[in-house]
Amino acid sequence: MPERRVLFEHRDVPGIETLEVYEKHGGYSALRKALSMTRQQVIDEVKASGVRGRGGAGFPAWIKWNGIPKDESKPHYVLCNADEGEPGTFKDRELMMRLPHQVIEGMVIAGYATLAKVGYIYIRGEYTEPARVMRRAIDEAYRAGYLGKNILGSGVDFDLYIHMGAGSYECGEESAMMSSLMGERGQPRLKFPHAPLPTIAGLWDCPTLINNVETLSCVPAIIRNGGAWYASMGTEKSTGTKIFSVSGHVNRPGNYEVEMGTPLMELLELAGGVKGKLKAVIPGGSSVPILPADKCDVNLDYESLQAAGTMLGSGGFMVLNDTVCIVRFMRRTAAFYAHESCGKCTPCREGTRWMVKIFDRILAGGGRMEDIDLLLDICDQIDGRSYCGLGDAAAWPIRASIKHFRHEYEYFIQHGHSIVEAEGKAVAV
Amino acid sequence: MSEPIRLGEYPRMRRVDERKPPELRFSQRAIEELERIKKHYPNKRAAMLPALWIAQREYGGYLPPEALMEVAYRMGTSYAVVEGVATFYTMYNKRPVGRVMLEVCTNLTCSICGGYEILRYLEEKLGIRVGETTPDGQFTLMEVECLNDCGNAPVMQVGNRYYGNLTLEKIDALLEELKSSEEHTVVQLADTIVQCHLTESERQDIERALARAAQAEEA
Ligand SMILES: Cc1cc2nc3c(=O)[nH]c(=O)nc-3n(C[C@H](O)[C@H](O)[C@H](O)COP(=O)(O)O)c2cc1C
Ligand code: SF4
Ligand code: FES
Repeated sequence: MPERRVLFEHRDVPGIETLEVYEKHGGYSALRKALSMTRQQVIDEVKASGVRGRGGAGFPAWIKWNGIPKDESKPHYVLCNADEGEPGTFKDRELMMRLPHQVIEGMVIAGYATLAKVGYIYIRGEYTEPARVMRRAIDEAYRAGYLGKNILGSGVDFDLYIHMGAGSYECGEESAMMSSLMGERGQPRLKFPHAPLPTIAGLWDCPTLINNVETLSCVPAIIRNGGAWYASMGTEKSTGTKIFSVSGHVNRPGNYEVEMGTPLMELLELAGGVKGKLKAVIPGGSSVPILPADKCDVNLDYESLQAAGTMLGSGGFMVLNDTVCIVRFMRRTAAFYAHESCGKCTPCREGTRWMVKIFDRILAGGGRMEDIDLLLDICDQIDGRSYCGLGDAAAWPIRASIKHFRHEYEYFIQHGHSIVEAEGKAVAV
Repeated sequence: MSEPIRLGEYPRMRRVDERKPPELRFSQRAIEELERIKKHYPNKRAAMLPALWIAQREYGGYLPPEALMEVAYRMGTSYAVVEGVATFYTMYNKRPVGRVMLEVCTNLTCSICGGYEILRYLEEKLGIRVGETTPDGQFTLMEVECLNDCGNAPVMQVGNRYYGNLTLEKIDALLEELKSSEEHTVVQLADTIVQCHLTESERQDIERALARAAQAEEA
């Protein structure tokens, strides 16, 4: 299967980031169409499309949209998650830099469908280049009447503000993002069932729709061509297309949009093939379990990847060849989570630090065989016992790496150096 | 691999006397910007992150205790609240930094594509360690987590720009260029972020307000 460009259909058109060129390629026709539909009809199209959240969890988008109260006793908000921080992922960056109006159009339609008059796009602080492109595009959209009061004479209002982060992976977690937007430390908030869902009580305790950049970017095409058309792509349960950010040991790293269900090996080919000999793939960002080369004969959709013991996650697709020492690579993964743990709950805050210490002992040549089980034990103590998804995400990759590459750990502990060096290869890290 | 990221090390802050009136250093422009950004949200507390960005710019690239005090004053909250927020986010500099920050990604993809080599090379070339600033105050070198441009690994952030597909030769040329450029400084980064918050009509509004103020002063 070749690439199937829906979101990226016009990515390579020169000037597509400007309103003029975007309009020439059908831009904002979906908004016009949506405004002529009822709000429920818009939500029903999203339902028919079957599109699931592209931020990592894969939650059906329409359920959130439909869960927003249908009356306006309180103000409603749309929050676009542009905090893209999952290691290995860079699709939202390109979507914002090349197709900012597609994001805006998706947000205005979402605002219309959920009765929101205000939207925020929370962009990570490091992303000043995408943010400037978004800024220019939003200014253009205001001038053309696609944002602001009485959009296109429909009587619908929607204001869109950019809110910049300041360096924190945890702020990508939706409740932490709300904390951060409300001017607090970026720590998560009490969740369902202990607290209402954000669709009922999100920002300032008002109904809030939170979707990822890619999810919202799907909306214009869904409205333009119909939900059924979108659902005709991909598999039954994983509809549509997905952008994979391919990086690491491939010849042509970059973003590739393919239909859900495309074989993993075909994506590797699209990216120019592996540099050297394939060792493993991490298909959905650093948080998902690693997939060794002999298990790479799998299709890229939510269900198939889950059956293979990993996840689709954010689509951050990292390719490792046989020069990578798994023990060192996993130490780097553990260090990331330790650094980004927000400190709110004990299993994650302490557990991630302990894992780094154990890795350091192994790497320094002082590892003990029990350390492997100790790592697994810490994973069990964190997974499912932490306050937000970051803790689980810190445990999964380590656990999977021990499952599939236990011999590398054992070798390192026995010999004080990596099996990759012993094979006479230069170690990539 | 690199030395471990130094875990659990938090900057120790000099205290300011909260009973004394704060010394206020925000420019008229900064005040105008903050007033407008506050209106984006139903309450002003939400403008905390932008306010800290404004302060980082106004105080020359980092947030001394006086800056936090001024933000507390302008946000109508306490020093402790502001300090709590500022210390959570890595991009707010709690210590003085160089004119330009070189932030090298050593996260997963970059680590296997030469990120550490870039970092080591910069250490050697600048004669400093990660986290330090060159004696002439030009450069601060940092190791950072994924910048999410992994397709161009190894990547480095310099102010408001990313530089990807780095090689040692590219670094040499880049350092020369950065010495004389005002484009990608720490202050410029903070300003870019502040400007991204402001809508076009707000930016025009601010210019008009500043022009009026200047006229009034002349008269
Ligand atoms: C630790 C952590 C980090 C996350 N980072 C991001 C992120 O950078 N971008 C994103 O869109 N979602 C991120 N998420 C997922 C969000 O919590 C949330 O599920 C998503 O924004 C919902 O949008 P969607 O339904 O459109 O995917 C993260 C979740 C966790 C637990
Ligand atoms: S799991 Fe706990 S400590 Fe870790 S980021 Fe979430 S809330 Fe913070
Ligand atoms: S790993 Fe360096 S940019 Fe993602």
